Amino acid sequence: MRVPASSDSNSGGKNLVVYDEPTSVLGLRRSPTPTTVEEKPLVSAASGGDNQFPSDDHAMRSMDWDSIMRELELDDDSTPTLKPNFPPPAHFAVVDPPLPVFPDQLNPAEYGYDSNNEGGGGFDIIEDLIRVVDCVDSDELQHAQVILSRLNQRLRSPAGRPLLRAAFYFKEALGSLLSGSNRNQNRLTSWTEIVERIRAIKEFSGISPITLFSHFTANQAILDSLHQSSSPFAHIVDFEIGFGGQYASLMREIAEKSSASGGFLRVTAVVPEESAVETRLVKENLVQFAADLKIRFQIDFVLMRTFKMLSFKAIRFVEGERTVVLISPVIFRRLNGISGFVNDLRRVSPNVVVFVDSEGWNGISGAGSFQREFVSGFEFYTMVLESLDAAAPNGDLVKKIIEGFVLRPKIAAAVEAAAVNKRQGGGEMTWREAFCAAGMRMVPLSQFVDFQAECLVEKAQVRGFHVAKRQGELVLCWHGRPLVATSAWRF
Amino acid sequence: MRTMGVKGLTLYHLKSHLQKFRQGRQLCKESTENSKDVSCAAESQDTGSSSTSSLRLAAQEHNESYQVTEALCAQVEVQRRLHEQLEVQRRLLLRIEAQGKYLQSVLEKACKAIEEQAVAFAGLEAAREELSELAIKVSNGSQVPFHTTKMTVPSLSELAVAIEHKKNCSAESSLTSSPVSAALMKKRHRGVFRNGESLVVGHETGWVMPSSSLG
Repeated sequence: MRVPASSDSNSGGKNLVVYDEPTSVLGLRRSPTPTTVEEKPLVSAASGGDNQFPSDDHAMRSMDWDSIMRELELDDDSTPTLKPNFPPPAHFAVVDPPLPVFPDQLNPAEYGYDSNNEGGGGFDIIEDLIRVVDCVDSDELQHAQVILSRLNQRLRSPAGRPLLRAAFYFKEALGSLLSGSNRNQNRLTSWTEIVERIRAIKEFSGISPITLFSHFTANQAILDSLHQSSSPFAHIVDFEIGFGGQYASLMREIAEKSSASGGFLRVTAVVPEESAVETRLVKENLVQFAADLKIRFQIDFVLMRTFKMLSFKAIRFVEGERTVVLISPVIFRRLNGISGFVNDLRRVSPNVVVFVDSEGWNGISGAGSFQREFVSGFEFYTMVLESLDAAAPNGDLVKKIIEGFVLRPKIAAAVEAAAVNKRQGGGEMTWREAFCAAGMRMVPLSQFVDFQAECLVEKAQVRGFHVAKRQGELVLCWHGRPLVATSAWRF
Repeated sequence: MRTMGVKGLTLYHLKSHLQKFRQGRQLCKESTENSKDVSCAAESQDTGSSSTSSLRLAAQEHNESYQVTEALCAQVEVQRRLHEQLEVQRRLLLRIEAQGKYLQSVLEKACKAIEEQAVAFAGLEAAREELSELAIKVSNGSQVPFHTTKMTVPSLSELAVAIEHKKNCSAESSLTSSPVSAALMKKRHRGVFRNGESLVVGHETGWVMPSSSLG
């Protein structure tokens, strides 16, 4: 329940907001020692989704848009005439999202999924999913709801084999698509959710080579490009910075290589509006990490919205720097198209463009078919879940955390993007074609990259992962099917 | 042989030396399969005719030295690859370690933010209740009895200490970023640390206190 709160600190005593019922998710009343998040997150959300804390973040950390924007220098200084049109802070609610409490975790005995459907049941569930997709495609939303509620009965929780778990997450994604509940772009992430996400990423990196492969392969491609020139100034434009984990190892390398003069690194990260809290956390941590390594570091943030309007003009480039652009399918989805982006990229003429595809993106942007993208996404994430099962055969809780906080949001984003983009798309080329048409050519990856990937896979000690080269890309595969594909390009 | 200038050195001596040399080489050549057979063949050929076929010997030596070079090259290559792979492994370990360290510190900072948020909230919550209690009492026209506030004072000082502690620990205190809460905390600190028995907050927000013996 939202409580109007003014972020304006000028109103003095009146600023103490009136709460209705401050029973917080953290179980706080008067004690200064809050329940820590060491408890199992999935079960401790006993207070459920209804207890919103609209204003605690609000008043405490001034997480209103204005101050965050000012802090991150995303306000009017940079783009005087094109200040993003945010609603006034009073309408913002910092909402604690309901932690994913799946019924079967609270009371496993009660909720099993229908075991009658175990055997051949997988396929009619998929058929139903596709029917929903088709209905959404042809705007038969009522019919879609009907089929979806049928599916809800059969898929009550993400349990069972990978296919069924994937089906559950994709069903959930379709559900929120239909109910429009993910339209709430103005929601800032709560600290609890952030902590859970970071933990999930940590766990995931620990058991599966997927994340590290993406980061380290890209980093090595970047380092190889940087070493080709004597200029120590590097500027990386990153479209999917996440929590900044990739830069830890990159900075370590830069520090080692330039031990005499101290290293330089400048990063410009294009971030979505709703990640304001994460963004501040990332900035704090990267700055600290760089300082510890004695690297001269600077990080700027550009809002996705601003980038959509201004493209690369929103980003500051400095003469004499080696420019690296790091991209993933996320930006192409947001922009719904590749050609415009690559043409603008050409004008920037970066020294290297590193493309990391860890979403099984089949690379056909806006090709129109929601169904096709849905199905290929479904296949992809089923495979990811399979690999997760192999990586953590007995780690049920770990898998739930990873699935809940790493994979499920990705699935939801992918489904939403596929649904949105289908309306605008139509017969575009594959990303390779678009890159080549814009005049880019591939840069071969060094042998170091190959060795590193192989080493990494070996270290992971999970049978089924292997590294392959495919048309100049280095690909991490799961039983022959690509999971992550990295390539480097230049103009 | 003249250049070597060793007395009594004959072709025979040379050939036997070369043979021993080649035998030694053959052990090294074990790793390169293809040249092994050839060198065996060369060996057997050589032991046969030691005096007549000097030309053939020269050709064979040339052949063999070529194989030796090839073998050496292959060895060097193998060593280089080994060395590079060791380097890759070392770098990889460093990178994994850096990544882990970073994620750990991000996690810690985020957890701390939750704690700070909770403490700050607790502090504000307590303060709000105090103030509203006082407001009621003041509006009732009664004197504010000091002893009734004593019960809450310990918890206030507890909180104040906790908050002070947090402020000192964290490099960037979230509390200071919010002027309202910070101001409130300051008021509280002054009140509690100077005179633990009375509620100075009321005094500083301008409420009328019956006795102003507060520091």
